[in-house]
Amino acid sequence: MATTMTITSAVQTGVPHVRVLEDRCAGCQECVVRCPTGALEMDSEHWVAVARDDACVGCRQCVRTCPFSAIEVEGPVLVTPRVEVEPLHPDHLVGDTSEIRPGIGSWDDALAEAQRCLACPDPTCVRGCPAHNDIPRFVAAIRDRDLATAHRVLRRTSVLPDVCSRVCNQAAQCEGACTWSLAGDTPVAIGLLERFVADNSEVPPPVPGPDAGMSVGVVGSGPGAIGAAWELVEAGVSVTVYERDPVPSGLLGWGIPDFTLPERVADRPWRQLGAAGVDLRLGTDVDAERLEQLLCEHDAVIVATGAGAPLRPPIPGADLDGVTDATNFLKTARAALESPMATEQWVAAAGLATSGSGRADRAAPHVLVLGAGNTAMDVARTARRLGLDATCVDWVDERFALARPDELEEARREGVSVRFLRTVVRLEGDGGRVRRAVVARCEQPRADRPPTVVEGAAETVSVDLVVMAMGYRAEPAIANALPGTPVRRQAAGLPDRRWTASGVFANQASAFAHHSPVGTLAYGREVGMHAAALPVRDRLWVVGDALVGPATVVEAMAHGRRAAAAVLGARPSRPGTSDPRQSRRALVCYASQGGRTARAAQAIAEELTDKGLSVRVLPVQRVGPEELAAADIVVVGSWVEGMVVAKVGPARAMRVWLDSLPPRLGGVPVAVFCTYGVHPRSTLTAMASAFERRGARVVATSSLRQGGTKVAAIAFARRILAGVRDAAGQQTAASVGGR
Amino acid sequence: MVVEVQERKAGLADPVSSAVHLRPPARGGLHERFGPSDPDPGLEVSRNPRVARLLRNRKFQFLLILPNQIVFWTVIFVGILGTAVPGLNFGAAITWYVWFCLVFVMMVVVGRAWCAMCPFGGFAEWIQRRALWQRAQRALGLGRKFPAPLARLGFILPVVSFLVLTWIEEFFNIAGPGNPADTSFMVIGIVASALLFFLVFERRTFCRYVCPLTSLIGTVGSMGSVAGFRTKDREVCLSCATKDCMRGGAEGYGCPWYTWPGSADSNLYCGLCSECYKACPEQNVGLFLQKPLTSVVAPKRRRADVAWAIALLWGLVLYQQINATTAYARVDTWLNTHLGVPHYPDPVAYLGLIGVLALATAGVAKVIAVLLARRDVDFARPGSFADRGSRFRAFFVPIAYGLIPVMGADYFARQLPKFFKHSARVVPAVAHIAGFSSAGSPIYATHILTNPWIVNVQVAVIALGTLGALWATWRIASRELVAISRNTLALRVGTLGLVALCGTVAAVLYVAMHAAS
Repeated sequence: MATTMTITSAVQTGVPHVRVLEDRCAGCQECVVRCPTGALEMDSEHWVAVARDDACVGCRQCVRTCPFSAIEVEGPVLVTPRVEVEPLHPDHLVGDTSEIRPGIGSWDDALAEAQRCLACPDPTCVRGCPAHNDIPRFVAAIRDRDLATAHRVLRRTSVLPDVCSRVCNQAAQCEGACTWSLAGDTPVAIGLLERFVADNSEVPPPVPGPDAGMSVGVVGSGPGAIGAAWELVEAGVSVTVYERDPVPSGLLGWGIPDFTLPERVADRPWRQLGAAGVDLRLGTDVDAERLEQLLCEHDAVIVATGAGAPLRPPIPGADLDGVTDATNFLKTARAALESPMATEQWVAAAGLATSGSGRADRAAPHVLVLGAGNTAMDVARTARRLGLDATCVDWVDERFALARPDELEEARREGVSVRFLRTVVRLEGDGGRVRRAVVARCEQPRADRPPTVVEGAAETVSVDLVVMAMGYRAEPAIANALPGTPVRRQAAGLPDRRWTASGVFANQASAFAHHSPVGTLAYGREVGMHAAALPVRDRLWVVGDALVGPATVVEAMAHGRRAAAAVLGARPSRPGTSDPRQSRRALVCYASQGGRTARAAQAIAEELTDKGLSVRVLPVQRVGPEELAAADIVVVGSWVEGMVVAKVGPARAMRVWLDSLPPRLGGVPVAVFCTYGVHPRSTLTAMASAFERRGARVVATSSLRQGGTKVAAIAFARRILAGVRDAAGQQTAASVGGR
Repeated sequence: MVVEVQERKAGLADPVSSAVHLRPPARGGLHERFGPSDPDPGLEVSRNPRVARLLRNRKFQFLLILPNQIVFWTVIFVGILGTAVPGLNFGAAITWYVWFCLVFVMMVVVGRAWCAMCPFGGFAEWIQRRALWQRAQRALGLGRKFPAPLARLGFILPVVSFLVLTWIEEFFNIAGPGNPADTSFMVIGIVASALLFFLVFERRTFCRYVCPLTSLIGTVGSMGSVAGFRTKDREVCLSCATKDCMRGGAEGYGCPWYTWPGSADSNLYCGLCSECYKACPEQNVGLFLQKPLTSVVAPKRRRADVAWAIALLWGLVLYQQINATTAYARVDTWLNTHLGVPHYPDPVAYLGLIGVLALATAGVAKVIAVLLARRDVDFARPGSFADRGSRFRAFFVPIAYGLIPVMGADYFARQLPKFFKHSARVVPAVAHIAGFSSAGSPIYATHILTNPWIVNVQVAVIALGTLGALWATWRIASRELVAISRNTLALRVGTLGLVALCGTVAAVLYVAMHAAS
């Protein structure tokens, strides 16, 4: 395996120089506590930060984290060259499905790369990773030559290190958020190091836990299902997986070609999960009706069906023979590449055989791929391995291309023609078979503007096969049964201040990350992570592409783990269970101004605690999706704002919080109260309807004058518990009746 | 490296938090550094629930700004469109007979109270934030950082802008007041400048680094009895990983003045806007009172830019006093004739005399330093203009801080003649807007005090300021100068003598001015 070193940094001379603007430095120490090298300390007399240039490596973490922009760093970034691994290029591409991208081949290279990690005190790479792998720790384990520990660190957040290290676009995720990258230099090769761990020490299999007495059904077997099943089986849950295809792994199996993700790696999770006792039922399709049955058969159901329905744009001629979609192409091509004979058979079946087609002048049939994203690259590169010519067309400018830059470069080196700012306006055929594509030229001066077609600049291209690879959406048959999906991965409002403080949002146009705003993208992904923890209906969770639309393998896996953790925390039970589990965890949250609402919340919490519940009491500002997901009962209280008759309603803090709630709360029982001085008017109605819109069940409401008395709070707490029992009883009756 | 691996726990715990290992913040010397300037917890006014509710209300500052906004837009329009008689024009009358005097009272008592309600910065901030009172997330404008070389000058730039504005006022007789329209144009100029800076730079860059009044309000305001917004528990601030008070939180903006309540040791840069109070998720920020002069005496970190600002402001007010004497009138006429300047004030004498007076003040400190500094102490310390150390600075900077009360008193006394002689004109000026009044109105000619009494009040104000300065200088010298001086008695005589001299000169000049405006 060829491993080469390339210098990625500019010639580095001198040392960085840190300048603290003493006038503006407030001595808050945000830089001091986050400096990876300890180059910043406090001048205790003037209470300003002072820097030691000799300890500074120029990572600019201090610049990014200073709240008052009081630090400047000049000079070079002192980072050693990154260990680069050149992709392989087979001499004979046709029929070759060997892996293109090698990993780090030696301990020396791995150690050299691991040494480049600064082990940042507030590691932005961890925020950039969708699964939030503890990157500094597993890299430190590599430095200690301790791959077992590295696996244990990775296992805390990932069950697919071998897969993710191969298929993740690290430049837009962990590596894009590496402090070296944010400083404008070359990041630690996190993906290669993760792969080094996985390649040189087998990923530990799941260890089934003692029987938890719970049954969970998982629909689908892709990365989301793998993440969920792994967590559940290790917790002793009986897991049944329903997969439509005859082979498991979903997208990992059919969607990613062998030259990127070898079959032995893609199959590994289900080999291990099967051995751990997961009941894998292949060839089992689940539609909306079957989903209802599964909810009756299992205590909880996690839907991880992905987004496998290809988008087919309404192009004239799209119904001709020889026009297919990426899903169909990749599934059939995978089998066709197993042997030369299978390849020949596939070519013949696809109507691409040169003999007898009257097209003997052509060296190879021509495949036109609509799109130039990662799936399109997979299609085109697979086509090259089938002996076909391949051209990708996409109407976006190459500067704004969706494909990974390395993937694009590899495709071109393999002979794929990728043409940006082009779009197919019409397909033409002879005898019902596609033969020509009319391709128009486009313009796109800015990324935030859609491309426009240039009139009168069309050309005609001869084609033998057209593959539409322009994206996917969730299967409509089941998506309609999943309320609130897809969830937009776009965070609203003020970001979590811990994220802002880390500096990950700074330097949004890092060159290494190909100008991706890595921090904003990462924070947007958190919306999906939070949504994955909350059921969309009672006992029904949705993860991965089925939840957020087409995303990534690592995100789906992280969603699956998150949903599994939520299931384990909630411990739901299916209707008709002889010993239904009681709601044990209550969250009492409040918006209080003068303290009355807080005191009422405390009194309610004490009564719930007396009744045996585990209760958390928090102001609403500290209640996020994670806190909500970890609660079986939610009690919400607000003081009443307004001027007696005008604008009377929940307090502003409560309104802001209600607006920020996730789209679905999955039938969680909610109790609402308010404290008022003159009259609450419609305060309770406004609060209750905010929850009901999100699928929650409002089981009790109460308005407490002047904060209410202890007796009133106790009475309300008892009504809450009675309401929860009634609601559970009604639900059981409805379910039994429904059956 | 030993890797400590926490056992995996099934749950929803945030995996990022477990990967964050911030270094422990420095805590050494906290008590010595902040102990003297930390306000008494018993003086936290925000403990009162009504005050707390008021401060937490997002409309708090808006409602402070709004009345002033109305008044100053009225000033602009009436100044241009109203009568040309200054005493009857609401714009000129309210600005020069009442407003300037009230601002001084506010700064001496409260500190930056005016900054909290300032219509100039307030107007520009509304536009910058795209909100009147709401916590908006996206600002309008370029959001640039103020260039570091200029920022390092601290108070020097605002002092220069104050000198320039004062010269313009004097040269065009705006504050006389002369033509009321000139007052309007001056206000428009300030509003336009503020707006420009707010749209180019982030936060209140204008207020901190450029505003003509900021150095005067900052220094004189440090005599005030409002400590500003400070931390209740510094340990909570030190361990806070988000610093919402600086970056902005859900309920409040990050400090527009670049001040952190966790390290504020004076009210110098607290604009009393209450944003940090609103933003803190731990409710660890409070509004505190303090004893008068605490922010003059107590801060341990003293800055050379503030000291030079005090010297220059002192030079300016003395220059204005000297100018008002008949003795100087002859010198002024001679200078104007030979320098070709049409009338008072010629810029050479203006800047020259202010410079000489400031340097003379610094010169006394230099003499004290040369004669009394201990020879075995190394005063040299690298740093920026504001913070580097030298023997001269070791004496000049604390001595200058000690002069704040007499300098502040002098500015206040300087405003009294206009107030006592003409502030009643505001009433006919208001009536004149509706066409009800004229210069013949009896109240138009009403003087609250006669000239001899005005002089008495001025001298009394100076005496009070001098007493305050003597006390402050004594305390500052005891804490900071005795340890580095060879002769304590000589130090006392030198520093207190300088204060007494300054007070005497100011008082004598007021007697010589005969209550001139």
